[in-house]
Amino acid sequence: MKMKKIIAAALAMAMALSLVACGNGNKDNGSQSKAPSSGSQGQNQGGDQSNPPSSSGASGITLWTYPIGDWKDENAVKALTDAFTAETGISVKVEYLDYTAGDDRVNTAITAEGTPDLIMEGPERLVANWGANGHMVDLKDMFDDTDLAEINAVNEGIMKACTYSNGAIYEYPLVMTAHCMAINKNAFEEAGALQYVDLENHTWTTENFIKAVEALYSKYNATVGAVFCAGQGGDQGTRALVNNLYGGTFTNAEHTQYLWNDPNNIKALEQLKSMKGIAFDPSLDGGKEITAFYQGILKMAFCWNIAQQLDPNSAKTGAEKTISGEDIVFMSFPSETGESQLCGGIWGFGIFDNGDQARIDASKQFIKFMCDSAHTVDAVKTANYFAVRTTAEGTDLSNIWADNPIMAEYTKLMPYLGDYYQVTTGWAAARTEWWNMLQEVGTGSDVATVLAAHEAAANAAAAG
Amino acid sequence: MSRALQWREDLAGYLFMLPSLIFFVGFVIIPMFICIFTSLTATNMHDAAMFGQFIGLENFIKLFQDKVFQKGLLNTFIIVIVSVPTVCAFSLWVGSAIYKLNNVALSAFRCIFYLPVVTGSVAVTVVWRWMYDNYTGILNTALKGVGLIEQNINWLGDPKTALGCIIVILFTTSVGQPIVLYVSALGNVDTTLIEAAEVDGATDMQVFWKVKWPQMMPTTLYILVITTINSFQCFALIQLLTQGGPSHATDTVMYYIYYTAFKLTEQAGHFGYANAMGVVLAIFIGIMSAIQFRLAKEK
Repeated sequence: MKMKKIIAAALAMAMALSLVACGNGNKDNGSQSKAPSSGSQGQNQGGDQSNPPSSSGASGITLWTYPIGDWKDENAVKALTDAFTAETGISVKVEYLDYTAGDDRVNTAITAEGTPDLIMEGPERLVANWGANGHMVDLKDMFDDTDLAEINAVNEGIMKACTYSNGAIYEYPLVMTAHCMAINKNAFEEAGALQYVDLENHTWTTENFIKAVEALYSKYNATVGAVFCAGQGGDQGTRALVNNLYGGTFTNAEHTQYLWNDPNNIKALEQLKSMKGIAFDPSLDGGKEITAFYQGILKMAFCWNIAQQLDPNSAKTGAEKTISGEDIVFMSFPSETGESQLCGGIWGFGIFDNGDQARIDASKQFIKFMCDSAHTVDAVKTANYFAVRTTAEGTDLSNIWADNPIMAEYTKLMPYLGDYYQVTTGWAAARTEWWNMLQEVGTGSDVATVLAAHEAAANAAAAG
Repeated sequence: MSRALQWREDLAGYLFMLPSLIFFVGFVIIPMFICIFTSLTATNMHDAAMFGQFIGLENFIKLFQDKVFQKGLLNTFIIVIVSVPTVCAFSLWVGSAIYKLNNVALSAFRCIFYLPVVTGSVAVTVVWRWMYDNYTGILNTALKGVGLIEQNINWLGDPKTALGCIIVILFTTSVGQPIVLYVSALGNVDTTLIEAAEVDGATDMQVFWKVKWPQMMPTTLYILVITTINSFQCFALIQLLTQGGPSHATDTVMYYIYYTAFKLTEQAGHFGYANAMGVVLAIFIGIMSAIQFRLAKEK
């Protein structure tokens, strides 16, 4: 009996202790995140006595990063954070997000008040979503006139995209690129469609795009390009395709209203729907479309950029090649004139406002180290994109890719970088409306009707 | 037994239960009340407070005007109505066919049918996705090979086939446990009653329905309730395979709850609205379970 009581008491104590342990599990060195840590590839160098003391007062910060180039590669990121820790004494715990579940993790963390100190992504999340809802720190004090001049010298739209309508800057930009599409050069050659593309300038007209798809379909008697619409992944590709084909719009210039219900977009969607070689495919998203293209199943991909050109399908099987060794050529989207407006990607860092000034200061030190110092070259090269500024504290960034012919060739597309409309209010809901609209077009619904209905729903979401 | 001794016995029992009770209250009972209360508010992700503005039954009124929710509810009922009877009937059939086999064969069958249950949802869906693939899937290849189809079918991308595909996967992952339970229940049927019925001239069918079936009723009731609840809560397959598409053809209430709570974060009061859906779903599950209990009791 006595033994039974002792066991019962011990069990109860053990369970109670485990509950208490659950409640305090994240107050360890260098991390204030309450997000689940299992499966995390975090790295924490906290407690290293050889590091110099931190000037900000915080000994460690947390960074969550989306897969931006090799910022998804633990070894590559560790080299950068180790350099930062060696210089500042501040340890960095890194967690890697993907585009499928990343938003859910961040949203859950916001709800549970367990956000990281730093996050790496683009203005559509940092500015238009989390910044607009008051979760981010205004980084305006990090920019002086020299910084702004260096960034504006590359593209004046960059700072505009990183700035919210109230003037607050919620993203410190690091890299940028123009999203494009890609073609399987060998397949085009076999189908006699290579005559329709300007391989020198990587451009083509709408008329030639239609002829090329016809030629490919005649040759392969199968779908050669997919308007993928399973989800939001890679949706900039389908937007750019539809908007460029006949010069349609997506938002107004002020980024306050969605304007897809444009006769030019209706014409483009009807054209795409009528093409035998093009399928509206709700079983594919951008990532799966890239895989199908890489495997040689599709002959063109609408979701592409320089990172894919350097490492197709992230498969490490060689730049500019499909799995079977066929040549991949990146292309601008087709338009009536051949000069299209490409969707851009601008990636950088934002700081979540966790109310701890020491950690905010440490995070700003990290941003300064990565985005505006002699180390910026490494941070940019890790991302495999282009620097958003000409120089960083005296280090020239304009020629860092001179030794890479693929990157050098890709700069031909940069002048086509169009309006960064992803910062329009209600963006998360609007892009959902977009792919739902494509699904309905694919199932045979009237294009004008569904375009109008989903545009109205997106604008309703933007209005709150 | 003296009262003091009884008290000590009770205390020991309660102490053993305490850890589970703490988890049950903390992670089931309290969240349940939070869910009910939040469903009456306009809570959203960006609120600093746990509960937003109290709006009464507004979320519930809005729910029944929401076409996507109605479609999700309809799809959920289709899944329940199709999958519950088929799972029960198939499990009973397989259980009846294998329960008399020798131990080795019986164990092998139990393993085979239970394998999809213990395999993770992600692994299961990855394999099924390959099979259903529009371009390289084995299903299209096989059907084209035998001349049943000429063009590939986009199984998960066509509104006509997508929900059926989900139900097939749900079926394969749901039959394992009922089969094991039926094998066990059939093994426990009183053999003297069976022998008596056979001596009285009962046919095999009569023995099954008049003697075995009534003795298996508690097991059947358990299987019905569990399968119904699992079917109502179908989420992982939808999330991993179709995300509710194409054109909401595979939206279920559970998926729409997740979508509203974690994707529509810019919509005012999205947490409250998602919780209202959760309350409605719980009410439907409760009603269905009560009906099943009542019918089984009458039997």
